[in-house]
Amino acid sequence: MEDQQPQGQPPFGQQPFGQSRFGNHPGPAPKNWLVESILVTIFCCLPLGIAGIVNAANVNSKYAIGDYAGAQAASAAAAKWTKIGFFIGIGVYVLYFIFFFVLGLGGAMMSNYR
Amino acid sequence: MKFKYTLGLIIFIALSMVYYKFNPEVYNFFPECPFHKLFNLDCPGCGSQRAIHSLLHGDIIQAANYNLLLVMSLPVLIIHFFFKVASYLTKEDHDLKIWYSPVTPKIIFTIVILFWIARNLPYQLFKYLAA
Repeated sequence: MEDQQPQGQPPFGQQPFGQSRFGNHPGPAPKNWLVESILVTIFCCLPLGIAGIVNAANVNSKYAIGDYAGAQAASAAAAKWTKIGFFIGIGVYVLYFIFFFVLGLGGAMMSNYR
Repeated sequence: MKFKYTLGLIIFIALSMVYYKFNPEVYNFFPECPFHKLFNLDCPGCGSQRAIHSLLHGDIIQAANYNLLLVMSLPVLIIHFFFKVASYLTKEDHDLKIWYSPVTPKIIFTIVILFWIARNLPYQLFKYLAA
């Protein structure tokens, strides 16, 4: 960045914290995992997808006020919760299929599942 | 990256065929929601397996009866993935920008929580929302 500044101008030091304003962000918005957490909420159940949605809200609002570091931290948290929810969902499916087919519960096919 | 998309597509098609062929209401080899098992309450995702089965058979009314949230969110998700695929194919950014608005997650959070509470209320008015 410093070599792009015009000659003769005194170089800026470290950009002060919270200095960036609307439309002047230091980078693109970090991935907020919103769609993924919606999918986890609908298909894997449990409050983990909702934790993802809350963190997605944090990503967007912190990025909007220019807190880029905070937005990145919230993005990491959203990724963590969404992945935990996703893998627990997958795990429940896999365990259920293992119990059903390996342990031979196939005889009980016809029952009123809810 | 290409491998991931191919694998995802294969799993998606396989699951669609399973959910088309077998009705989760009748066959019990579909996993039950752990939340429903533990607390005997409906979570926001309860009923989505049966809703998918109904949707694959074209019965939107029945699907909405099982899980209204799933049916409501599907159009948004379809539009989202349409634009995702479009950006992947054209190598340009066509992604939806609404996901990065500060209000969008708050609205979604409110809808999910209200839906979760409402479908567990023991009143006749909300019976339609229950799984």
